[in-house]
Amino acid sequence: MLEIRHLSVSYGQHRALADIVLTANRGEIVVILGANGAGKSTLLKAVAGLVSAAAGASVRIRDRELAGDEPHRIVEAGIALVPEGRGIFGDLTVRENLQLGAYAARARDDEARNHARVLALFPRLAERMSQTARTMSGGEQQMLAIGRALMSSPEFLLLDEPSLGLSPLVCRELFAALKEIGASGIGVLLVEQNAKQSLAIAQRGYVIETGRITLAGKSEMLRADPAVQRAYLGAAGAASSTDTPSTD
Amino acid sequence: MVLIDILISGLILGGMYALVAMGLTLQYGVARILNLAYGEVLIASAFATYVLYTGFAISPLLGLLIVLPLAFAANWLIYRVMLTPLVKRARNRVTLEIDSILATFGLLFVLQGIAFVVFGGQYYSYSYLSVPLHLGGSIVSVNRLLALGFAAALGIALYLALTRTRSGTAIRAVAVDPTSAQLVAINVRRVAGFAFALGGAMCAAGGVLTSMFLTFNAAMGVVFTMKALIVVIMGGVGNLLGALLAGLLLGLIETFVARLVDPGLTLAANFALFLAVLLIRPQGLLGRRAS
Ligand SMILES: Nc1ncnc2c1ncn2[C@@H]1O[C@H](COP(=O)(O)OP(=O)(O)OP(=O)(O)O)[C@@H](O)[C@H]1O
Ligand SMILES: [Mg+2]
Repeated sequence: MLEIRHLSVSYGQHRALADIVLTANRGEIVVILGANGAGKSTLLKAVAGLVSAAAGASVRIRDRELAGDEPHRIVEAGIALVPEGRGIFGDLTVRENLQLGAYAARARDDEARNHARVLALFPRLAERMSQTARTMSGGEQQMLAIGRALMSSPEFLLLDEPSLGLSPLVCRELFAALKEIGASGIGVLLVEQNAKQSLAIAQRGYVIETGRITLAGKSEMLRADPAVQRAYLGAAGAASSTDTPSTD
Repeated sequence: MVLIDILISGLILGGMYALVAMGLTLQYGVARILNLAYGEVLIASAFATYVLYTGFAISPLLGLLIVLPLAFAANWLIYRVMLTPLVKRARNRVTLEIDSILATFGLLFVLQGIAFVVFGGQYYSYSYLSVPLHLGGSIVSVNRLLALGFAAALGIALYLALTRTRSGTAIRAVAVDPTSAQLVAINVRRVAGFAFALGGAMCAAGGVLTSMFLTFNAAMGVVFTMKALIVVIMGGVGNLLGALLAGLLLGLIETFVARLVDPGLTLAANFALFLAVLLIRPQGLLGRRAS
Protein backbone atom coordinates (compact mmCIF):
# COMPACT_ATOMS: atom_id res chain seq x y z
CA MET A 1 0.00 0.00 0.00
CA LEU A 2 1.04 3.55 -0.76
CA GLU A 3 0.18 5.82 2.11
CA ILE A 4 0.46 9.59 1.93
CA ARG A 5 -0.18 11.63 5.04
CA HIS A 6 0.10 15.28 6.02
CA LEU A 7 1.69 16.18 2.73
CA SER A 8 2.08 19.93 2.29
CA VAL A 9 4.15 21.67 -0.36
CA SER A 10 4.96 25.34 -0.77
CA TYR A 11 6.67 27.16 -3.60
CA GLY A 12 8.17 30.03 -1.69
CA GLN A 13 5.25 31.84 -0.10
CA HIS A 14 2.71 30.06 -2.24
CA ARG A 15 1.19 26.97 -0.63
CA ALA A 16 0.37 24.54 -3.42
CA LEU A 17 -0.68 21.54 -1.31
CA ALA A 18 -2.10 21.49 2.19
CA ASP A 19 -2.21 18.41 4.38
CA ILE A 20 -2.97 15.83 1.72
CA VAL A 21 -4.01 12.39 2.93
CA LEU A 22 -4.28 9.73 0.28
CA THR A 23 -3.86 5.99 -0.06
CA ALA A 24 -3.64 3.58 -2.96
CA ASN A 25 -3.43 -0.18 -3.04
CA ARG A 26 -1.59 -2.41 -5.44
CA GLY A 27 -3.77 -3.48 -8.32
CA GLU A 28 -5.99 -0.48 -7.83
CA ILE A 29 -6.46 2.51 -10.11
CA VAL A 30 -6.96 5.75 -8.22
CA VAL A 31 -7.79 8.88 -10.17
CA ILE A 32 -7.02 12.42 -9.03
CA LEU A 33 -9.23 15.12 -10.49
CA GLY A 34 -8.81 18.85 -10.19
CA ALA A 35 -8.87 22.08 -12.13
CA ASN A 36 -5.76 23.69 -13.60
CA GLY A 37 -3.43 24.80 -10.85
CA ALA A 38 -5.15 22.71 -8.19
CA GLY A 39 -1.89 21.01 -7.26
CA LYS A 40 -2.19 17.64 -8.99
CA SER A 41 1.25 17.68 -10.56
CA THR A 42 2.75 18.99 -7.36
CA LEU A 43 1.29 16.00 -5.52
CA LEU A 44 2.87 13.48 -7.89
CA LYS A 45 6.17 15.35 -7.92
CA ALA A 46 6.26 15.42 -4.14
CA VAL A 47 5.68 11.67 -3.96
CA ALA A 48 8.43 11.10 -6.54
CA GLY A 49 10.80 13.35 -4.59
CA LEU A 50 11.12 16.01 -7.29
CA VAL A 51 9.78 18.74 -5.03
CA SER A 52 10.31 18.68 -1.30
CA ALA A 53 7.42 18.48 1.10
CA ALA A 54 7.08 20.49 4.29
CA ALA A 55 8.26 18.83 7.49
CA GLY A 56 5.85 16.33 8.96
CA ALA A 57 4.88 14.74 5.67
CA SER A 58 4.86 11.00 5.33
CA VAL A 59 4.97 8.91 2.17
CA ARG A 60 5.10 5.22 2.94
CA ILE A 61 5.30 2.14 0.83
CA ARG A 62 5.41 -1.25 2.60
CA ASP A 63 6.05 0.67 5.80
CA ARG A 64 9.14 2.28 4.38
CA GLU A 65 9.27 6.04 4.84
CA LEU A 66 10.15 7.82 1.60
CA ALA A 67 9.44 11.45 2.44
CA GLY A 68 12.64 13.43 1.96
CA ASP A 69 14.39 10.70 -0.03
CA GLU A 70 16.10 11.47 -3.30
CA PRO A 71 14.15 10.71 -6.51
CA HIS A 72 16.42 7.88 -7.64
CA ARG A 73 15.95 6.10 -4.32
CA ILE A 74 12.20 6.46 -4.56
CA VAL A 75 12.27 4.68 -7.91
CA GLU A 76 14.33 1.95 -6.28
CA ALA A 77 11.65 1.68 -3.61
CA GLY A 78 9.06 0.89 -6.27
CA ILE A 79 7.41 4.14 -7.32
CA ALA A 80 7.67 5.23 -10.95
CA LEU A 81 6.46 8.59 -12.25
CA VAL A 82 5.42 9.38 -15.80
CA PRO A 83 5.64 13.16 -15.57
CA GLU A 84 3.68 15.91 -17.23
CA GLY A 85 5.14 16.22 -20.72
CA ARG A 86 6.30 12.60 -20.61
CA GLY A 87 9.97 13.16 -19.78
CA ILE A 88 11.32 10.64 -22.26
CA PHE A 89 14.86 11.06 -23.56
CA GLY A 90 14.16 12.60 -26.95
CA ASP A 91 17.70 12.20 -28.28
CA LEU A 92 17.84 8.53 -27.43
CA THR A 93 16.21 5.64 -29.26
CA VAL A 94 13.17 3.73 -28.06
CA ARG A 95 15.41 0.81 -27.18
CA GLU A 96 17.73 3.01 -25.11
CA ASN A 97 14.79 4.63 -23.32
CA LEU A 98 13.47 1.23 -22.32
CA GLN A 99 16.93 0.04 -21.35
CA LEU A 100 17.30 3.03 -19.06
CA GLY A 101 13.90 2.29 -17.58
CA ALA A 102 15.50 -0.81 -16.14
CA TYR A 103 18.49 1.10 -14.74
CA ALA A 104 17.21 0.62 -11.20
CA ALA A 105 18.84 -2.27 -9.37
CA ARG A 106 15.39 -3.56 -8.49
CA ALA A 107 14.56 -3.90 -12.18
CA ARG A 108 17.53 -5.93 -13.38
CA ASP A 109 16.30 -9.43 -12.58
CA ASP A 110 12.98 -9.00 -14.33
CA GLU A 111 14.24 -6.92 -17.22
CA ALA A 112 13.50 -9.44 -19.97
CA ARG A 113 10.07 -10.21 -18.61
CA ASN A 114 9.15 -6.53 -18.21
CA HIS A 115 10.42 -5.82 -21.70
CA ALA A 116 8.18 -8.52 -23.16
CA ARG A 117 5.28 -7.20 -21.13
CA VAL A 118 5.73 -3.63 -22.33
CA LEU A 119 5.87 -4.74 -25.94
CA ALA A 120 2.76 -6.87 -25.46
CA LEU A 121 1.00 -3.87 -23.97
CA PHE A 122 2.21 -1.46 -26.66
CA PRO A 123 2.96 -3.53 -29.77
CA ARG A 124 3.66 -0.36 -31.73
CA LEU A 125 6.85 0.21 -29.76
CA ALA A 126 8.22 -3.08 -31.04
CA GLU A 127 8.27 -1.74 -34.59
CA ARG A 128 10.11 1.38 -33.53
CA MET A 129 12.92 0.15 -31.35
CA SER A 130 15.64 1.96 -33.28
CA GLN A 131 13.72 5.18 -33.80
CA THR A 132 14.81 8.36 -32.04
CA ALA A 133 12.15 9.00 -29.41
CA ARG A 134 11.51 12.64 -30.34
CA THR A 135 10.50 11.73 -33.87
CA MET A 136 7.58 9.60 -32.75
CA SER A 137 3.95 10.70 -32.56
CA GLY A 138 2.55 12.03 -29.30
CA GLY A 139 0.70 8.81 -28.62
CA GLU A 140 3.76 6.69 -29.25
CA GLN A 141 5.84 8.91 -27.00
CA GLN A 142 3.31 8.51 -24.22
CA MET A 143 3.38 4.74 -24.66
CA LEU A 144 7.15 4.86 -24.46
CA ALA A 145 7.01 6.96 -21.32
CA ILE A 146 4.69 4.46 -19.66
CA GLY A 147 6.73 1.55 -20.97
CA ARG A 148 9.90 3.08 -19.59
CA ALA A 149 8.29 3.50 -16.19
CA LEU A 150 7.07 -0.11 -16.24
CA MET A 151 10.61 -1.30 -16.97
CA SER A 152 11.56 -0.28 -13.43
CA SER A 153 9.30 -3.01 -11.99
CA PRO A 154 7.22 -0.50 -10.05
CA GLU A 155 4.72 -1.38 -7.39
CA PHE A 156 3.06 1.96 -7.98
CA LEU A 157 2.84 3.89 -11.20
CA LEU A 158 2.09 7.61 -11.06
CA LEU A 159 0.83 9.22 -14.27
CA ASP A 160 0.44 12.96 -14.83
CA GLU A 161 -2.19 13.65 -17.51
CA PRO A 162 -1.11 10.91 -19.90
CA SER A 163 -4.02 11.55 -22.27
CA LEU A 164 -3.16 15.21 -22.81
CA GLY A 165 -3.11 16.07 -26.49
CA LEU A 166 -3.95 12.61 -27.76
CA SER A 167 -6.67 11.83 -30.29
CA PRO A 168 -9.83 10.09 -29.02
CA LEU A 169 -8.78 6.83 -30.61
CA VAL A 170 -5.30 6.83 -29.06
CA CYS A 171 -6.87 7.90 -25.77
CA ARG A 172 -9.05 4.82 -25.73
CA GLU A 173 -6.03 2.62 -26.39
CA LEU A 174 -4.19 4.34 -23.58
CA PHE A 175 -6.93 3.89 -21.01
CA ALA A 176 -7.32 0.25 -22.00
CA ALA A 177 -3.60 -0.22 -21.38
CA LEU A 178 -3.81 1.51 -18.00
CA LYS A 179 -6.67 -0.76 -17.01
CA GLU A 180 -4.54 -3.75 -17.92
CA ILE A 181 -1.62 -2.39 -15.90
CA GLY A 182 -3.87 -2.05 -12.87
CA ALA A 183 -5.19 -5.56 -13.38
CA SER A 184 -1.62 -6.89 -13.44
CA GLY A 185 -1.22 -5.91 -9.80
CA ILE A 186 0.46 -2.52 -10.06
CA GLY A 187 -1.13 0.35 -8.18
CA VAL A 188 -1.93 3.26 -10.50
CA LEU A 189 -2.24 6.86 -9.34
CA LEU A 190 -3.69 8.71 -12.28
CA VAL A 191 -3.94 12.48 -12.61
CA GLU A 192 -6.35 13.26 -15.40
CA GLN A 193 -8.38 15.98 -17.03
CA ASN A 194 -10.33 13.34 -18.88
CA ALA A 195 -12.64 12.60 -15.97
CA LYS A 196 -15.08 10.44 -17.88
CA GLN A 197 -12.62 7.90 -19.17
CA SER A 198 -10.46 7.85 -16.08
CA LEU A 199 -13.41 7.33 -13.73
CA ALA A 200 -14.49 4.49 -16.00
CA ILE A 201 -11.29 2.52 -15.32
CA ALA A 202 -10.60 3.68 -11.75
CA GLN A 203 -11.89 2.06 -8.58
CA ARG A 204 -11.54 5.17 -6.47
CA GLY A 205 -10.83 8.83 -6.86
CA TYR A 206 -9.96 12.10 -5.15
CA VAL A 207 -10.86 15.65 -6.07
CA ILE A 208 -8.29 18.35 -5.32
CA GLU A 209 -9.22 22.02 -5.21
CA THR A 210 -6.61 24.70 -4.54
CA GLY A 211 -4.29 22.30 -2.81
CA ARG A 212 -6.81 20.47 -0.64
CA ILE A 213 -8.68 17.24 -1.06
CA THR A 214 -12.34 18.16 -1.11
CA LEU A 215 -13.88 14.89 -2.10
CA ALA A 216 -12.85 11.24 -2.02
CA GLY A 217 -14.62 8.00 -2.71
CA LYS A 218 -15.47 5.20 -5.06
CA SER A 219 -15.66 5.98 -8.75
CA GLU A 220 -19.41 5.39 -8.94
CA MET A 221 -19.93 7.80 -6.10
CA LEU A 222 -17.77 10.46 -7.77
CA ARG A 223 -19.50 9.94 -11.08
CA ALA A 224 -22.85 10.50 -9.43
CA ASP A 225 -21.75 13.56 -7.48
CA PRO A 226 -23.40 16.70 -8.89
CA ALA A 227 -20.36 18.89 -8.22
CA VAL A 228 -18.07 16.46 -10.02
CA GLN A 229 -20.51 16.22 -12.88
CA ARG A 230 -20.66 19.96 -13.16
CA ALA A 231 -16.95 20.61 -12.93
CA TYR A 232 -15.35 17.60 -14.61
CA LEU A 233 -17.91 15.63 -16.54
CA GLY A 234 -19.36 18.49 -18.56
CA ALA A 235 -22.89 17.97 -17.33
CA ALA A 236 -25.64 20.09 -18.87
CA GLY A 237 -25.65 23.68 -17.74
CA ALA A 238 -21.92 23.89 -17.19
CA ALA A 239 -20.78 22.80 -20.61
CA SER A 240 -19.55 26.28 -21.45
CA SER A 241 -17.51 26.71 -18.28
CA THR A 242 -13.94 27.43 -19.23
CA ASP A 243 -12.32 25.01 -16.83
CA THR A 244 -14.44 22.11 -17.96
CA PRO A 245 -12.11 19.68 -19.63
CA SER A 246 -13.15 18.24 -22.91
CA THR A 247 -14.31 14.67 -22.67
CA ASP A 248 -14.33 14.05 -26.39
CA MET B 1 53.70 16.57 -51.55
CA VAL B 2 52.77 19.57 -49.48
CA LEU B 3 49.11 18.60 -49.48
CA ILE B 4 49.67 15.13 -48.03
CA ASP B 5 52.03 16.69 -45.54
CA ILE B 6 49.38 19.14 -44.41
CA LEU B 7 46.76 16.43 -44.35
CA ILE B 8 48.80 14.15 -42.10
CA SER B 9 49.96 16.92 -39.76
CA GLY B 10 46.47 18.37 -39.65
CA LEU B 11 44.94 15.02 -38.80
CA ILE B 12 47.44 14.44 -36.00
CA LEU B 13 46.87 17.87 -34.51
CA GLY B 14 43.12 17.58 -35.05
CA GLY B 15 43.07 14.15 -33.45
CA MET B 16 44.62 15.63 -30.32
CA TYR B 17 42.10 18.47 -30.29
CA ALA B 18 39.26 16.01 -30.76
CA LEU B 19 40.42 13.78 -27.91
CA VAL B 20 40.88 16.71 -25.55
CA ALA B 21 37.55 18.22 -26.56
CA MET B 22 35.75 14.91 -26.00
CA GLY B 23 36.85 15.07 -22.39
CA LEU B 24 35.69 18.66 -22.01
CA THR B 25 32.34 17.91 -23.61
CA LEU B 26 31.85 15.19 -20.98
CA GLN B 27 32.60 17.63 -18.18
CA TYR B 28 30.56 20.45 -19.64
CA GLY B 29 27.77 18.51 -21.31
CA VAL B 30 27.12 15.93 -18.60
CA ALA B 31 28.40 17.39 -15.33
CA ARG B 32 27.50 20.95 -16.43
CA ILE B 33 30.84 22.18 -15.17
CA LEU B 34 32.61 24.66 -17.41
CA ASN B 35 36.09 23.77 -16.28
CA LEU B 36 38.53 26.61 -16.90
CA ALA B 37 41.34 24.62 -15.30
CA TYR B 38 40.96 21.93 -17.95
CA GLY B 39 44.16 22.80 -19.78
CA GLU B 40 46.14 22.78 -16.53
CA VAL B 41 45.19 19.12 -16.11
CA LEU B 42 46.54 18.51 -19.59
CA ILE B 43 49.81 20.28 -18.81
CA ALA B 44 50.09 18.49 -15.46
CA SER B 45 49.80 15.20 -17.32
CA ALA B 46 52.44 16.28 -19.79
CA PHE B 47 54.79 17.09 -16.90
CA ALA B 48 53.97 13.79 -15.22
CA THR B 49 54.82 11.96 -18.43
CA TYR B 50 58.06 13.93 -18.69
CA VAL B 51 59.04 13.03 -15.14
CA LEU B 52 58.14 9.38 -15.57
CA TYR B 53 60.13 9.16 -18.81
CA THR B 54 63.22 11.18 -17.95
CA GLY B 55 63.31 10.24 -14.27
CA PHE B 56 62.12 6.65 -14.19
CA ALA B 57 62.52 5.53 -17.80
CA ILE B 58 58.84 4.73 -18.06
CA SER B 59 57.77 5.26 -21.65
CA PRO B 60 54.92 7.69 -22.30
CA LEU B 61 52.67 4.96 -23.64
CA LEU B 62 53.22 2.88 -20.51
CA GLY B 63 52.83 6.11 -18.57
CA LEU B 64 49.25 6.29 -19.79
CA LEU B 65 48.51 3.39 -17.46
CA ILE B 66 49.69 5.48 -14.53
CA VAL B 67 48.63 8.98 -15.50
CA LEU B 68 45.11 8.16 -16.64
CA PRO B 69 43.92 6.48 -13.42
CA LEU B 70 45.60 9.23 -11.40
CA ALA B 71 43.87 11.93 -13.41
CA PHE B 72 40.57 10.11 -13.07
CA ALA B 73 40.95 9.95 -9.29
CA ALA B 74 42.13 13.56 -8.99
CA ASN B 75 39.26 14.88 -11.08
CA TRP B 76 36.76 12.81 -9.16
CA LEU B 77 38.13 14.30 -5.98
CA ILE B 78 37.93 17.82 -7.38
CA TYR B 79 34.30 17.19 -8.22
CA ARG B 80 33.50 15.70 -4.85
CA VAL B 81 35.29 18.22 -2.69
CA MET B 82 35.20 21.44 -4.61
CA LEU B 83 32.27 21.22 -7.01
CA THR B 84 29.64 19.15 -5.22
CA PRO B 85 28.81 21.99 -2.82
CA LEU B 86 28.23 24.22 -5.83
CA VAL B 87 26.06 21.59 -7.49
CA LYS B 88 24.02 21.17 -4.33
CA ARG B 89 23.28 24.82 -3.87
CA ALA B 90 22.76 25.68 -7.56
CA ARG B 91 19.17 26.57 -8.22
CA ASN B 92 19.52 26.00 -11.93
CA ARG B 93 21.96 25.33 -14.72
CA VAL B 94 22.94 28.95 -15.18
CA THR B 95 23.92 29.51 -11.56
CA LEU B 96 25.94 26.29 -11.61
CA GLU B 97 27.69 27.38 -14.78
CA ILE B 98 28.64 30.75 -13.30
CA ASP B 99 29.74 29.24 -9.99
CA SER B 100 31.79 26.57 -11.71
CA ILE B 101 33.48 29.11 -13.97
CA LEU B 102 34.54 31.13 -10.92
CA ALA B 103 35.65 28.10 -8.93
CA THR B 104 37.65 26.52 -11.73
CA PHE B 105 39.15 29.89 -12.61
CA GLY B 106 40.59 29.82 -9.12
CA LEU B 107 41.73 26.25 -9.57
CA LEU B 108 43.49 27.27 -12.78
CA PHE B 109 45.77 29.65 -10.88
CA VAL B 110 46.45 27.15 -8.13
CA LEU B 111 47.49 24.43 -10.56
CA GLN B 112 49.43 26.83 -12.74
CA GLY B 113 51.19 28.26 -9.69
CA ILE B 114 52.26 24.81 -8.56
CA ALA B 115 53.53 24.00 -12.06
CA PHE B 116 55.57 27.23 -12.12
CA VAL B 117 57.07 26.54 -8.71
CA VAL B 118 58.05 23.00 -9.59
CA PHE B 119 59.08 23.38 -13.22
CA GLY B 120 59.66 27.08 -13.75
CA GLY B 121 58.64 28.91 -16.89
CA GLN B 122 60.88 27.26 -19.48
CA TYR B 123 59.80 24.92 -22.24
CA TYR B 124 60.12 21.19 -21.80
CA SER B 125 60.35 18.37 -24.27
CA TYR B 126 61.80 14.92 -24.49
CA SER B 127 62.68 12.67 -27.34
CA TYR B 128 60.72 9.47 -27.63
CA LEU B 129 60.52 7.49 -30.86
CA SER B 130 61.22 10.54 -32.97
CA VAL B 131 62.12 8.29 -35.85
CA PRO B 132 61.25 9.60 -39.30
CA LEU B 133 58.89 7.53 -41.36
CA HIS B 134 58.24 7.94 -45.07
CA LEU B 135 54.57 8.07 -45.79
CA GLY B 136 53.22 8.78 -49.28
CA GLY B 137 56.10 11.05 -50.14
CA SER B 138 56.14 13.00 -46.90
CA ILE B 139 57.96 12.38 -43.65
CA VAL B 140 56.25 11.87 -40.30
CA SER B 141 57.86 10.87 -37.04
CA VAL B 142 56.73 7.66 -35.42
CA ASN B 143 55.77 9.30 -32.14
CA ARG B 144 53.20 11.48 -33.89
CA LEU B 145 51.62 8.53 -35.63
CA LEU B 146 51.53 6.59 -32.38
CA ALA B 147 49.90 9.54 -30.62
CA LEU B 148 47.25 9.71 -33.32
CA GLY B 149 46.68 5.95 -33.12
CA PHE B 150 46.24 6.00 -29.36
CA ALA B 151 43.98 9.05 -29.52
CA ALA B 152 41.81 7.29 -32.08
CA ALA B 153 41.67 4.11 -30.00
CA LEU B 154 40.70 6.04 -26.86
CA GLY B 155 38.12 8.09 -28.73
CA ILE B 156 36.54 4.99 -30.26
CA ALA B 157 36.57 3.19 -26.91
CA LEU B 158 34.86 6.14 -25.25
CA TYR B 159 32.30 6.39 -28.02
CA LEU B 160 31.46 2.69 -27.82
CA ALA B 161 31.27 2.77 -24.03
CA LEU B 162 28.86 5.68 -24.14
CA THR B 163 26.64 4.26 -26.85
CA ARG B 164 26.73 0.51 -26.27
CA THR B 165 26.51 0.09 -22.51
CA ARG B 166 23.76 0.90 -20.05
CA SER B 167 26.08 3.01 -17.89
CA GLY B 168 27.15 4.93 -20.97
CA THR B 169 23.56 5.46 -22.00
CA ALA B 170 22.88 6.71 -18.47
CA ILE B 171 25.65 9.29 -18.90
CA ARG B 172 24.03 10.50 -22.12
CA ALA B 173 20.65 10.54 -20.42
CA VAL B 174 22.01 12.89 -17.74
CA ALA B 175 23.38 15.09 -20.51
CA VAL B 176 20.04 15.42 -22.29
CA ASP B 177 17.66 15.52 -19.33
CA PRO B 178 18.90 15.37 -15.73
CA THR B 179 15.39 15.57 -14.25
CA SER B 180 14.10 12.63 -16.21
CA ALA B 181 17.31 10.76 -15.47
CA GLN B 182 16.38 10.82 -11.79
CA LEU B 183 13.06 9.24 -12.68
CA VAL B 184 14.79 6.13 -13.99
CA ALA B 185 16.73 5.74 -10.73
CA ILE B 186 19.91 7.35 -12.02
CA ASN B 187 21.87 9.01 -9.24
CA VAL B 188 22.54 12.14 -11.23
CA ARG B 189 25.19 13.61 -8.97
CA ARG B 190 27.15 10.38 -8.97
CA VAL B 191 26.97 9.99 -12.73
CA ALA B 192 27.99 13.63 -13.14
CA GLY B 193 31.00 13.05 -10.89
CA PHE B 194 31.95 9.99 -12.90
CA ALA B 195 31.61 11.87 -16.19
CA PHE B 196 33.73 14.71 -14.81
CA ALA B 197 36.43 12.25 -13.79
CA LEU B 198 36.25 10.43 -17.12
CA GLY B 199 36.55 13.75 -18.94
CA GLY B 200 39.60 14.57 -16.83
CA ALA B 201 41.15 11.24 -17.80
CA MET B 202 40.58 11.95 -21.51
CA CYS B 203 42.21 15.34 -21.00
CA ALA B 204 45.17 13.66 -19.32
CA ALA B 205 45.46 11.27 -22.26
CA GLY B 206 45.66 14.31 -24.49
CA GLY B 207 48.45 15.67 -22.30
CA VAL B 208 50.45 12.46 -22.38
CA LEU B 209 50.11 12.03 -26.13
CA THR B 210 50.85 15.64 -27.14
CA SER B 211 53.90 15.72 -24.85
CA MET B 212 55.37 12.99 -27.09
CA PHE B 213 55.86 15.50 -29.90
CA LEU B 214 55.11 19.04 -28.68
CA THR B 215 57.10 21.24 -26.35
CA PHE B 216 55.17 22.54 -23.41
CA ASN B 217 55.51 24.81 -20.40
CA ALA B 218 53.63 25.71 -17.26
CA ALA B 219 51.76 28.58 -18.86
CA MET B 220 50.32 26.72 -21.81
CA GLY B 221 47.23 25.24 -20.18
CA VAL B 222 44.98 28.11 -21.03
CA VAL B 223 45.64 27.68 -24.76
CA PHE B 224 44.38 24.12 -24.60
CA THR B 225 41.36 25.12 -22.53
CA MET B 226 40.47 27.74 -25.08
CA LYS B 227 40.89 25.46 -28.07
CA ALA B 228 38.99 22.64 -26.40
CA LEU B 229 36.20 25.04 -25.58
CA ILE B 230 36.07 26.26 -29.16
CA VAL B 231 35.92 22.69 -30.42
CA VAL B 232 33.20 21.72 -27.92
CA ILE B 233 31.00 24.66 -28.82
CA MET B 234 31.65 24.18 -32.52
CA GLY B 235 30.68 20.53 -32.29
CA GLY B 236 27.64 21.07 -30.08
CA VAL B 237 27.91 20.87 -26.30
CA GLY B 238 27.73 17.29 -25.05
CA ASN B 239 28.06 15.83 -28.52
CA LEU B 240 31.00 13.41 -28.86
CA LEU B 241 30.86 13.06 -32.63
CA GLY B 242 30.54 16.81 -32.92
CA ALA B 243 33.71 17.22 -30.86
CA LEU B 244 35.47 14.72 -33.10
CA LEU B 245 34.40 16.44 -36.29
CA ALA B 246 35.14 19.95 -35.03
CA GLY B 247 38.50 18.88 -33.57
CA LEU B 248 39.68 17.38 -36.86
CA LEU B 249 38.41 20.41 -38.76
CA LEU B 250 40.26 22.79 -36.48
CA GLY B 251 43.49 20.80 -36.72
CA LEU B 252 43.33 20.67 -40.49
CA ILE B 253 42.52 24.34 -40.94
CA GLU B 254 45.20 25.42 -38.47
CA THR B 255 47.83 23.37 -40.24
CA PHE B 256 46.65 24.55 -43.63
CA VAL B 257 46.86 28.21 -42.66
CA ALA B 258 50.20 27.79 -40.90
CA ARG B 259 51.81 26.09 -43.88
CA LEU B 260 50.26 27.88 -46.81
CA VAL B 261 49.37 31.32 -45.51
CA ASP B 262 51.23 32.45 -42.40
CA PRO B 263 51.93 30.71 -39.07
CA GLY B 264 51.04 33.93 -37.30
CA LEU B 265 47.49 33.68 -38.57
CA THR B 266 46.55 30.31 -37.06
CA LEU B 267 44.83 31.82 -34.06
CA ALA B 268 42.95 34.24 -36.29
CA ALA B 269 41.89 31.32 -38.49
CA ASN B 270 40.74 29.49 -35.35
CA PHE B 271 38.46 32.27 -34.36
CA ALA B 272 37.24 32.92 -37.89
CA LEU B 273 36.11 29.30 -38.06
CA PHE B 274 34.58 29.54 -34.60
CA LEU B 275 32.70 32.71 -35.50
CA ALA B 276 31.48 31.25 -38.76
CA VAL B 277 30.06 28.22 -36.97
CA LEU B 278 28.47 30.39 -34.28
CA LEU B 279 26.84 32.60 -36.88
CA ILE B 280 25.60 29.84 -39.16
CA ARG B 281 24.88 27.07 -36.64
CA PRO B 282 24.80 28.52 -33.11
CA GLN B 283 23.87 25.11 -31.69
CA GLY B 284 27.09 23.63 -33.10
CA LEU B 285 27.80 21.42 -36.10
CA LEU B 286 26.01 18.38 -34.72
CA GLY B 287 24.19 20.03 -31.82
CA ARG B 288 20.47 20.39 -31.57
CA ARG B 289 18.72 23.63 -30.81
CA ALA B 290 17.41 23.59 -27.27
CA SER B 291 13.66 23.08 -27.43
N1 LIG C 1 7.91 25.55 -9.74
C1 LIG C 1 6.89 26.30 -9.27
N2 LIG C 1 7.14 27.47 -8.69
C2 LIG C 1 6.13 28.23 -8.19
N3 LIG C 1 4.85 27.88 -8.23
C3 LIG C 1 4.52 26.72 -8.80
C4 LIG C 1 5.53 25.85 -9.35
N4 LIG C 1 4.92 24.77 -9.85
C5 LIG C 1 3.61 24.93 -9.63
N5 LIG C 1 3.36 26.09 -8.99
C6 LIG C 1 2.05 26.57 -8.56
O1 LIG C 1 1.47 25.61 -7.71
C7 LIG C 1 0.10 25.43 -8.00
C8 LIG C 1 -0.17 23.99 -8.34
O2 LIG C 1 0.49 23.66 -9.56
P1 LIG C 1 0.39 22.24 -10.23
O3 LIG C 1 1.28 22.23 -11.41
O4 LIG C 1 0.61 21.21 -9.21
O5 LIG C 1 -1.13 22.21 -10.71
P2 LIG C 1 -1.89 21.14 -11.57
O6 LIG C 1 -3.06 20.73 -10.79
O7 LIG C 1 -0.99 20.07 -12.02
O8 LIG C 1 -2.37 22.00 -12.80
P3 LIG C 1 -2.52 21.59 -14.35
O9 LIG C 1 -3.83 20.90 -14.47
O10 LIG C 1 -2.54 22.91 -15.06
O11 LIG C 1 -1.37 20.74 -14.73
C9 LIG C 1 -0.22 26.40 -9.12
O12 LIG C 1 -0.79 27.55 -8.54
C10 LIG C 1 1.11 26.72 -9.73
O13 LIG C 1 1.12 28.02 -10.24
MG1 LIG D 1 -0.28 19.46 -13.81
